[in-house]
Amino acid sequence: MPENYIEIENLRKTYDGKKYALDGLTFNTGKGEIYGLLGKNGAGKSTSIKIMTTLIGFNSGKGTVAGYDIVKEAAKIRKCIGVVQQEESYDFATVENNFKLAGLLWEVGREERDSRMNELIDLFGLDEIRKKRMFDLSGGQKKRVQVAREFMHDMKVIFLDEPTVGLDPIMRRKILDYIRQKANKGLTVLFTTQNLEEADMICDRIGIINNGMIVEEGTSSQLKNKYGNLRTLTIWAGDESMLSKEQVQNIFSDLSFDQLEVKENVITIITKNLEKNLGKIMSLLSANNIQVERINVENPTLDDVFIKVVQK
Amino acid sequence: MKIPAFLRLTIRNVVVNTDMGTMIFMLGLPTLYLFVMGFMFQGIVPTGLQIKQNGLDIPYTTFLAPGIIALQSFTAGNIGGGMLWSDRRWGMFEQIMVGPFRRFEYLLGIICVSIFFAIVGSLIMLAFALAIPVSFNYNLIGVLSFLVTIVMGTILFSSLFLIISGIAKSMQAYQTITIVLFFLLDFASTSFYNITSSTPVWLVYIADINPLTYISNILRDSFIYGVNYQTFTSMGIIFAGMVVLFAISMRVYRNIRSGI
Ligand SMILES: Nc1ncnc2c1ncn2[C@@H]1O[C@H](COP(=O)(O)OP(=O)(O)OP(=O)(O)O)[C@@H](O)[C@H]1O
Ligand SMILES: [Mg+2]
Repeated sequence: MPENYIEIENLRKTYDGKKYALDGLTFNTGKGEIYGLLGKNGAGKSTSIKIMTTLIGFNSGKGTVAGYDIVKEAAKIRKCIGVVQQEESYDFATVENNFKLAGLLWEVGREERDSRMNELIDLFGLDEIRKKRMFDLSGGQKKRVQVAREFMHDMKVIFLDEPTVGLDPIMRRKILDYIRQKANKGLTVLFTTQNLEEADMICDRIGIINNGMIVEEGTSSQLKNKYGNLRTLTIWAGDESMLSKEQVQNIFSDLSFDQLEVKENVITIITKNLEKNLGKIMSLLSANNIQVERINVENPTLDDVFIKVVQK
Repeated sequence: MKIPAFLRLTIRNVVVNTDMGTMIFMLGLPTLYLFVMGFMFQGIVPTGLQIKQNGLDIPYTTFLAPGIIALQSFTAGNIGGGMLWSDRRWGMFEQIMVGPFRRFEYLLGIICVSIFFAIVGSLIMLAFALAIPVSFNYNLIGVLSFLVTIVMGTILFSSLFLIISGIAKSMQAYQTITIVLFFLLDFASTSFYNITSSTPVWLVYIADINPLTYISNILRDSFIYGVNYQTFTSMGIIFAGMVVLFAISMRVYRNIRSGI
């Protein structure tokens, strides 16, 4: 029996009987792997986490978490997972008591509980606010407690639903590093995010979810090669220039771009390996007497990747 | 040492609820009722408010004390049943539901914390009452009927608040319903006063369907007049009300989906 695995097969889920929030979701995750579900608002990330953590039911399909069936062995699953849900979640008590209560609920012995609490408070920079009541904290501080608290108990799989939203870059980094460490020790991690860079940083494998299904999957470097290196280069030529697409295509005939648009005096190029070709592009333009007034380079947003993925 | 899941949840519920606000609501307010109202009424009209029942003369403070103790079942039920609301509101219901618990254990945790608060609260009120002092008669049957009634009344009220917690859609709705119920049930009952021939009919109707009326009456029988046939009838009514409300609360609870 596979242990510490997530296997999801053809899950379908509708809330209202009309629209499917999950529409044939299929993926699996190995032991100690960090799997990232990447998708925009409403893609079905939280829905899939709620199903895998046995919080809600579904219409068809099947799945196992840590080797247990998500329907028949739900109680067993709940004993060996951790969940950081997207919505805020805390007890009406102080920060410290939130840790202690988590320890109580998970039957962590008193000594173990206190040492873990202190370690986590230290690691997540909560020392100054440990005596404060939860509702006196800032949004980011609450989120930090919520993520840290979940590590009070041991588990085989952790589900993290956009755990870094609202955190400053330093804390974000710290949390991602901590999760990485845990994964290296065998914890299986299911992580959702809308942030491509973040997924790239931490995930062993990424599934891009759209309209309730995985539309693209791979290691971060595979995906990066496919989409992540795309840059959008916009070039404004002198006001007087009226460029035609053929003219520009001829100038760049040696180079191949993913996309080339020309409108009056504005050239838009979408390409991989822009760093390598930028010099060549500029010198080709000047060799052809096109005066460049301004250029702009943009990294692809998640939407760009999506549009690509969905159009395919 | 292994603590069963429902008991861990109960301990958690106690810890989360032992804040200043809850304590004032649970103990401070009834204490004020007991002392301020008790002595005010007794002081203003020293003889006129003496209450006669079964041929016995009862000072108002002695009459009031069992009523105030009865209120503890309402307050504790409100705190316990209301936990479902705050747990849904602050995301802890979902969090517990994906933890090492079964659904009924969460429910049991709520019932247990309600009973815990009710018993602790009513014992404290009893102690205050004795300090006034009041003239209570004690016997085993009285004490038993007091305990059984407080427990049944608390389950009844926590079921009521579980239902409200399960169906309320907003903070305002929940709080408004709670406050209206608080005033209506507390004051349109026999907790504070007897129903007399001059009580308006509509108030008598409300008092007649108000569980606090029966609980107050039972506690007066337990501590003052002695348990009698009427006491058992009232207990039967409270038992029936408890069963009905608990059954409804189970239905509501079973249908709660995550989120509000
Ligand atoms: N409780 C609910 N009732 C009805 N529809 C819902 C409910 N929860 C989610 N949905 C719908 O299901 C779809 C998927 O939602 P889900 O919350 O899984 O998206 P998500 O990927 O987590 O989005 P986000 O990035 O905004 O968190 C959406 O169309 C959403 O409107
Ligand atoms: Mg979500």
